[in-house]
Amino acid sequence: MTMSFSPPLVKVESLHKSYGPNIQVLKGLDIEMKPGERVVVIGPSGGGKSTLLRVIMGLEKIDSGSITFGGKPYISSAGRDKKTIIDTEVRRSIGMVFQHYTLFPHLSVLQNLILAPCKVRGEKKEIAIKRAQALLERFGLAAKANSYPAQLSGGQKQRVAIARALMLDPKLMLFDEVTSALDPELVAEVEQVILQLAAQNMPMMIVTHDMWFARNIASRVIFCAGGAVVEDGPPEQVLGSPKEERTRDFIDRVFHIRQ
Amino acid sequence: MELDFSIVARFQNALALGLWTTIQLTLICIVLGCALGFLIGLARTSRSAVVRAVSSVYVEFFRGTPVLIQLFWIFFCLPLILGVELPNFASGIIALTLYMGAITSETFRASLKSVGREQLDACIALGLPRRVQVTSVILPQAVLRAIPTLLSNCVSLFKESALVSAVGIADLMFIGQNISNNTARPVEVLTIVALIYFIIAFPLARAVSLVERRILAKLAI
Repeated sequence: MTMSFSPPLVKVESLHKSYGPNIQVLKGLDIEMKPGERVVVIGPSGGGKSTLLRVIMGLEKIDSGSITFGGKPYISSAGRDKKTIIDTEVRRSIGMVFQHYTLFPHLSVLQNLILAPCKVRGEKKEIAIKRAQALLERFGLAAKANSYPAQLSGGQKQRVAIARALMLDPKLMLFDEVTSALDPELVAEVEQVILQLAAQNMPMMIVTHDMWFARNIASRVIFCAGGAVVEDGPPEQVLGSPKEERTRDFIDRVFHIRQ
Repeated sequence: MELDFSIVARFQNALALGLWTTIQLTLICIVLGCALGFLIGLARTSRSAVVRAVSSVYVEFFRGTPVLIQLFWIFFCLPLILGVELPNFASGIIALTLYMGAITSETFRASLKSVGREQLDACIALGLPRRVQVTSVILPQAVLRAIPTLLSNCVSLFKESALVSAVGIADLMFIGQNISNNTARPVEVLTIVALIYFIIAFPLARAVSLVERRILAKLAI
């Protein structure tokens, strides 16, 4: 057995987050994610899965707690008014894909891909275009470079959104229910792209309701309910023979619905 | 009484001159009014409560009072306040620009609001700095979405510009009224004048729905 002293990629400590005074979504959540892990977060709606991803992306204010990324402080809350402090430099090494694509509708596929590299990193346009074309080629979208998002299918849009995030060479990818809005026959093409990334050891955190996908992509599954981690372990355990009662209930219900 | 439309033909040069004045006035006020409206639209989403309050009062005042009164007010009161006599044409431009600014600011405000929270999330996830979020993502979408309504605003302004005849600006309406008074042929003259307005406004209004469909198709909203 080898001991690894590399810091965790993401370390979430006693994270609290509420929307307004009465709706507490995350109630002291702790997660440690090692480099190279692919964590799938499952759980009932309202259990805080998507909020967790949004917090890690730096899209939400937090009440208390902290997150480090690669051993460096990333998000914390400080001061009397509990202001959320986000290190935007660290944030740039994280990419996210959303349920509703969120492509920029007024820009072509190619323009969607090169906007951030050119404007954020000052990359030369020709170089960005070359990289974008290579990515689109890899995802089977080469012919769509000059199309607008409205001219694409849901599956194509979501693949473009993944390519757009990859243009910034993220060290962690977050996928928030990326196939939930898709027609059933389009789910596979998006999941294939994510599996492709997994094969290249891209660290990722995925929120999904698709248990087949979860089983196939996860190196670790976290069951999250009521704003805290209920069960955390390898996919065979959490999805196959969960230890916790609440996890078992959830898994039973999900598979029952899918039959 | 027999209708005799041929009488209008005698005044075609005068009417053409009036139409030219109307078009000039409308175009100038469209450009200035849209620019003003854009700024006011931004001001109404400002973080400063004072800026929001001042811009809201301005917009509600000009939206809530008759354009004719605004015209008279600028025409009579502005010289008293500024201490300078303004040419008719200038006070017409000021009044219609202020009016157009108030109307289009609402158009811009609505279109700015229509760019959803999700677009901002995407901007943040891509690490776009605030300036790039505004110039490359929010403003282009807001302006695109505003175009159909702005075009309707412009068509309305073209028709409402006829009110400037009341302060003695020799626009199409003013010339038409003069001819009608001098010839005692109000039916023929005013019908022709109305037709001239219609021939210009109608295709523009049709163009609005065409542009609307194109833009909606492109943005898929």
